[in-house]
Amino acid sequence: MITTPNIPDPDAFYAALLEAQDGLDAAATADFQARLLFLLANQCGAQDVLLECIAAARDSAEPAPTKNHTP
Amino acid sequence: MPTYAFAPEYELPQWPFRPPPELNSDTIARHPVVIVGAGPAGLTLACDLALRGVPAILLDEDDTVGVRGASSRGICYAQKSLEIFERLGIYERIAAKGITWSVGKTFSGEQEVYGFNLQTESASRQPPFINLQQFYIEWFLVDRILELGVVDLRWKNKVARIESREDGVRVHVDTPAGSYAIDADHLVDATGAHSAIRTQLELPGHASRSTDRWCITDVRFRKPLPVERWTWVDAPFNDGRAVWQHLMADGVWRIDYQMPEDCDNDTISKPEVAGERLREQLGPDVDFEFVWIGPYGYRDFLLDHFRHQRVLFIGDAAHVVSPFGARGGNTGIQDAANLGWKLALVTRGAAQTALLDTYCAERRHAAVENLAVTSRSARFLAPRSAAEHTLRRAVVALAARYPFARALVNTGRMSVANAYPPSAALPDGARTVQNLPLQWQGGNATTLMQLLAEDTQGLALWFAPEAAAVAPMRQQLADLPVRLIAVGGDTELPTLQPDAALTARLGGQPGSMHLLRPDAYAAASLRTATPATAAAAVRQAFCMTAPQ
Repeated sequence: MITTPNIPDPDAFYAALLEAQDGLDAAATADFQARLLFLLANQCGAQDVLLECIAAARDSAEPAPTKNHTP
Repeated sequence: MPTYAFAPEYELPQWPFRPPPELNSDTIARHPVVIVGAGPAGLTLACDLALRGVPAILLDEDDTVGVRGASSRGICYAQKSLEIFERLGIYERIAAKGITWSVGKTFSGEQEVYGFNLQTESASRQPPFINLQQFYIEWFLVDRILELGVVDLRWKNKVARIESREDGVRVHVDTPAGSYAIDADHLVDATGAHSAIRTQLELPGHASRSTDRWCITDVRFRKPLPVERWTWVDAPFNDGRAVWQHLMADGVWRIDYQMPEDCDNDTISKPEVAGERLREQLGPDVDFEFVWIGPYGYRDFLLDHFRHQRVLFIGDAAHVVSPFGARGGNTGIQDAANLGWKLALVTRGAAQTALLDTYCAERRHAAVENLAVTSRSARFLAPRSAAEHTLRRAVVALAARYPFARALVNTGRMSVANAYPPSAALPDGARTVQNLPLQWQGGNATTLMQLLAEDTQGLALWFAPEAAAVAPMRQQLADLPVRLIAVGGDTELPTLQPDAALTARLGGQPGSMHLLRPDAYAAASLRTATPATAAAAVRQAFCMTAPQ
């Protein structure tokens, strides 16, 4: 699973994502995101990476471990 | 309100109760194998043992096949089962009576989203599937067992209880003419999902019940439809729920409707209610007559151990799965074919009882796999939350446009001959080999199943052996339950013509030897076979003691 930046233009990607679901209600948005999820999963195509992404998505609901800020 | 016609009931055979000799005897006779339950698994085992010359006794509490012959029982027989039936000698009857199919299609709404043709993967003499009402299979098996005359079929013999010991099983039997007891070296429980034997022994297992509800409608109508397996994830004519459509023998269609979870069984199975569903599906102008209507739910069950002392469990007595993919009856039939030759060798004293433990390990592995596969199908067909519905809607929407998503549409993964994991007897695990049509060097046709139908022995298929190597090999394998056959080459051995499909499936090379078990699983491959390595491979696969 790649966790370092790999999207060439993150802001443009995020904007495109928002634009695509503009005007959709909650149910239609969920449908859109589910379709997108499967399309993206097929681009990846590596079973172990997919499973790792599922686990990471689930774990990310928890607060991330706090970083040690040394003064 | 329209009225609906029912077809006359199937005419099923009945076999007479004959008072068994033990009724009037003071001594308790001991038999090598007693099978309880004349369903597909028990009858397959009885027929298999009859061909192997094992005088088993089969006890059944009824005197016919398919008491609920028109009901919710198996209809799809998979290639591996059909190959087993060829070996048992009933395949031609099944093929003549049943409906051969290989194409499946899945629809969402009005749109086809996914289709498959299993024939393209097949090199077997048997087709991927034949549909046939279960009672016909049982009927043909009974006829064949009676024809062979080795196994004692005892109708109206109900097992009251058993006494299980380390060295055998005492079976107490009730009949219309009184009660008796017999002893068995091995007892095989093939009494199905509600096994009283399993209950009596209080054996641990895992069970779960689904809330998914279905209603079967077996029906005859005059509307030409393709002979294919059609499934709808969300049929417009069934309020957006799933529907199955399959043709069986005698022009009877099985149409299986998914129902709301909170439905009332009595209501959904009323002829006028079922008739309305059918009318919706078939259109206003198609005449039909019902054969049977039956609501059902399904459950999962897996016994922790398929053997308890001398009691072995096969079929639904050992494992129950949801019906998606036809993995119930076919698994029971394959359990029986896995166990038959092992019981024959153990009964004959040729193999150690450890061979029976390989039955448990191999078939429990298959059951675990089938449970996982059918549970996934069940969950695709009955999403448990709004979020699961969202995911399924996405898959179905994408599947209509993009091939990749069709692989995610899961309306049942059809029954396969499960592979077996590595074990002491199978160092590399084992896979079945399809029933390839083959030719002897002289030109006569045969098949793998025909080669395996004689006696209880495996096949040692030896690719292009050297003539000088034949005599010592023959001598070394002479006393082992294996038949030595050459594939190509010029030796005095019985020789098959080289065959591309056989070579590809076994990985044959000049001098290599491949051991097929009597159930057509490839147990070992020897790159260069010597008499010592070949004999060792047979002894290992068949759990035989090494010579002292």
